[in-house]
Amino acid sequence: MNVLALNFPEVSHLFVWPDILFSGTDYAINKTVLIYLAAVVITAAIFLTAGRRTGSLVPAGVQHVAEAGVTFIEESVVMETIGEEGKKFMPFLTTMFFFILFSNIFEVVPGIQFPANGRMAVPITLALLVWVIYNVVGVRAQGLFGYLKNSLFPPGVPVALYLIVTPIELVSTFVVRPFSLAIRLWANMVAGHLLLVTFAVLTHELWNATYVGAAAPFAMLVLMTGFEILVSVLQAFIFTILTAVYIGGSLHPAH
Amino acid sequence: MRIRRNRLLAAPLLALVGVLAFAGPAHAAGATVGDCMAEKIEHLIEEAHGDLDDMKHELHDKLHDKKVQEKIEGCFEAPNPIIPEVNEIIWGGAAFLILFVLMVKKGFPAVKGAMDARAEKIRGDLDAAEKAKTDAQAVQSDYESRLADAKGEASRLVDEARVAADQIRSDLVARAEADAAGIRERAAAEADAAKAQAIADLRAEVSGIALGAAERVVQSSLDAEVQGRLIDAYIDEVAGSNG
Repeated sequence: MNVLALNFPEVSHLFVWPDILFSGTDYAINKTVLIYLAAVVITAAIFLTAGRRTGSLVPAGVQHVAEAGVTFIEESVVMETIGEEGKKFMPFLTTMFFFILFSNIFEVVPGIQFPANGRMAVPITLALLVWVIYNVVGVRAQGLFGYLKNSLFPPGVPVALYLIVTPIELVSTFVVRPFSLAIRLWANMVAGHLLLVTFAVLTHELWNATYVGAAAPFAMLVLMTGFEILVSVLQAFIFTILTAVYIGGSLHPAH
Repeated sequence: MRIRRNRLLAAPLLALVGVLAFAGPAHAAGATVGDCMAEKIEHLIEEAHGDLDDMKHELHDKLHDKKVQEKIEGCFEAPNPIIPEVNEIIWGGAAFLILFVLMVKKGFPAVKGAMDARAEKIRGDLDAAEKAKTDAQAVQSDYESRLADAKGEASRLVDEARVAADQIRSDLVARAEADAAGIRERAAAEADAAKAQAIADLRAEVSGIALGAAERVVQSSLDAEVQGRLIDAYIDEVAGSNG
């Protein structure tokens, strides 16, 4: 695609990857799938290695990473949103945080430079899983009637306002939430990837044309790479904390 | 331990190498519009049968078929980036599920258990330190109290010793005074006795002398009894004048 004399790759071609194995089947493996698998291997390696170093009083290396992650999820996510009874969701939330984080962070890994969550598959799968979990938790905690009543008719709202509030809550809680959760993560990673590609293409073209002109987009490329590391972590955190907030809301309707 | 850790760390590195090795460029999937159209036309040619003329007619018909044209036009449509691919959903979902099972069964309990055990140990150590501190404080206060008692005892002993010394001194003084008084009295008594004895002796001596003298002066005019009275009266007179 030529834009102002720049040969910019088509947007879809920045996200659709060729099949490497099982081409044309529903089990085809491409770069996105390999990144998902790498995220599993890295997370599992960190936690299994850390789990073997139980004798050490002072954590070091991967043990420190794993323990810092667990402490972060416990103190900044679970205790802030659900409270003590949310601790049973710690393994799920920790897994989710690290899986999303490592799927995202490949966006800035040289040679790979692609956020697997720039594809919709994992964001929507996890968001629908979260939708199922918080609804099941809500029904188990409050009963079906109680959960629907507290979700659609929030306590403390003047009765007349239910005309407006109830349809909004219905759409928001039961329809929009999984999609907003998925699209927030997906769109952030897509936007980040596009930004990095834009500045990379600009740097490449301006280097070929003028050499000096490449300095500005290259500086931006470096800056945006740093920024995207932050975004990768932040989006993993946001997805996880929103999951915890939804579960907490199902457990404690009054809050 | 180190070898095992290195092996575990090698796993993610291998995964990275795999991703790098297999990852082709994004547009290498026959994904350009030209590649797509060429692929579809090649497919039509492969399906054509008969001799060259038949094939020409068949291709002509097919290329003017609305459905075939729509298929070829499909090459201009970019894939919708928001629609998830089935293979990515399957692999992504399976990857998360596998990781979740691994974390629930192995990773998370081990890490959390180690953290809890460490927290428990630190809490225990702090409690023990607190107890040791309390014990030390108790021992210190015990020692301080014993020290204060000892000081009090020493002070009391000194006071008692001082009182006893005073008592002894006053007793000694009193006894010495009493002894001195006794000695003085005895001396006075002895002196009085000696004086009386001396006086008696002297009187006898004087009376003998006086009698002898008087005998010589008066000779026989006075008898012995009168002489004795005269002599005693004389001596008393002498003693009274000597005092």
